[in-house]
Amino acid sequence: MNAPAVRIRDVRRSVTLEGVLDGVDLDIAPGEFVALLGREGSGKGALLRALAGLDHEAQGAGEIALPPSTAMIFPDARLLPWLRVLDNVLLGLDPGEGKRAVLALAEVGLAGREISWPHELSDGEQQRVALARALVRRPALLLADGPFRALDAVTRLQLDALLLCLSERHHYAVLLATDDVDEAIALADRIVMLDHGRLAIDVRVDDRREGEPAARLRAILLRMLGVN
Amino acid sequence: MNMYSGQIIAAPPVLVAAERRRSLAPARPNRYLHLIGPASLLLCWSFLSAAGWLDPRTLPAPWTAVSTGADLLREGQIQERLAVSIARVATGFTLGGAAGLLLALLSALSPLGLYLIDGVVQLKRGIPVLAAVAFILVWSGTTEPVTEAAIALAAFSPIYLLTHNALRTVDIRYVELAETLNLSRAQFVKAVILPGALAGFVRGLRFGAAAAWLVLAAAEQVDATGGIGDMVALASNEVQPDVIMVGLGIYGLLGLATDYGLRGFEQLLLASRRSFGQ
Repeated sequence: MNAPAVRIRDVRRSVTLEGVLDGVDLDIAPGEFVALLGREGSGKGALLRALAGLDHEAQGAGEIALPPSTAMIFPDARLLPWLRVLDNVLLGLDPGEGKRAVLALAEVGLAGREISWPHELSDGEQQRVALARALVRRPALLLADGPFRALDAVTRLQLDALLLCLSERHHYAVLLATDDVDEAIALADRIVMLDHGRLAIDVRVDDRREGEPAARLRAILLRMLGVN
Repeated sequence: MNMYSGQIIAAPPVLVAAERRRSLAPARPNRYLHLIGPASLLLCWSFLSAAGWLDPRTLPAPWTAVSTGADLLREGQIQERLAVSIARVATGFTLGGAAGLLLALLSALSPLGLYLIDGVVQLKRGIPVLAAVAFILVWSGTTEPVTEAAIALAAFSPIYLLTHNALRTVDIRYVELAETLNLSRAQFVKAVILPGALAGFVRGLRFGAAAAWLVLAAAEQVDATGGIGDMVALASNEVQPDVIMVGLGIYGLLGLATDYGLRGFEQLLLASRRSFGQ
């Protein structure tokens, strides 16, 4: 097996708004799509924020090794309302990257929307811009914190498909925190579940995406989440 | 008849023509109907004056005020005084506004600036704006541009406070975004903090302009000669209430025009961000 893209060892975080982490070990291979399931307060958010380096205030310990180019997308698109779409994608980058930003926008299906303002886009389109903003940074790892949670069901399916397609085309690893078992089964190579700050499940999905095996996996995961 | 026997018959469905519900939301205002209030006030005033129930030495009739205004315009007195007053406000407001903006940037963006500047400004904030006019009596007779200084002091506070506040209250979501994008401090200030604070700055300008006119009116009546306030003060001494009314009307129009202009400026600047809580 190759060297992992992500290496997490015994990561602990004391109580934060997003829950606790009580000794999490996790390796993610390059290009691997991992779905992170867990109830509210299970520590999903805490783990993602720890990986993204956003938990300045939390006490904790442990070892986190990430690729230098790690991108993150949030539940909201987080576009700056005073920047046009293209400038949002280019935020913090050299303006000379403009051409690549245009290509990234085309890849998420927003060719020709470069000079729109964020408020002129639908919620789903705004999340597409956020994806392009991640994409243009050539990530080796994409952290996705319930990114399509607030979207309607149809848009969500479209963006799920886009997320999968982009990760396969560009070979970056994904860690997708979600509360949707079906989304996890449909997209991930591997599903892990956090429970009370520890990994409770670590299962490969590969050939269980449809039919009987998927139904069984789904039932197990739902039971672990406390849904009967 | 046994009431428990027999069939259960469903009540035949009754259909009622659906009425369009009247909305409970406040009706959308018609801007022209806003004139009803002032117009009726004017009507009452005219009626009371015409009936002779208002002593013209206390409150002259509207037409007296209008014809006095027309006379003063014809003499060129209003134009001359207006130029003096506007120049005073423009100078004071520009100086106070520039100082407010500069100090707000320094105190909001550097820790040293915060401790050095903000405490002092917060103290000054407690002092009523009009108290600054007292300086005019002390300073008058010196060669300093006294009225302008008082106006600058008055305009400074709201511009500083609102700009500083807007610079310090950045949406935490954008902070997180900037961190995950590895923005440098300078990039963060340029792309997030400054544009985010623009709305607060423009609001500060509007409040600052209101304060500037207020202090102008007070200062001109106390000391400075040549402006609109001076005309009002003279009229007050000579018991010419119609001239006073003309002065008040001019002040009102100036204040409205300034606010209208700044609001237009605000809308121009913020055109792109309808979704941004505006």
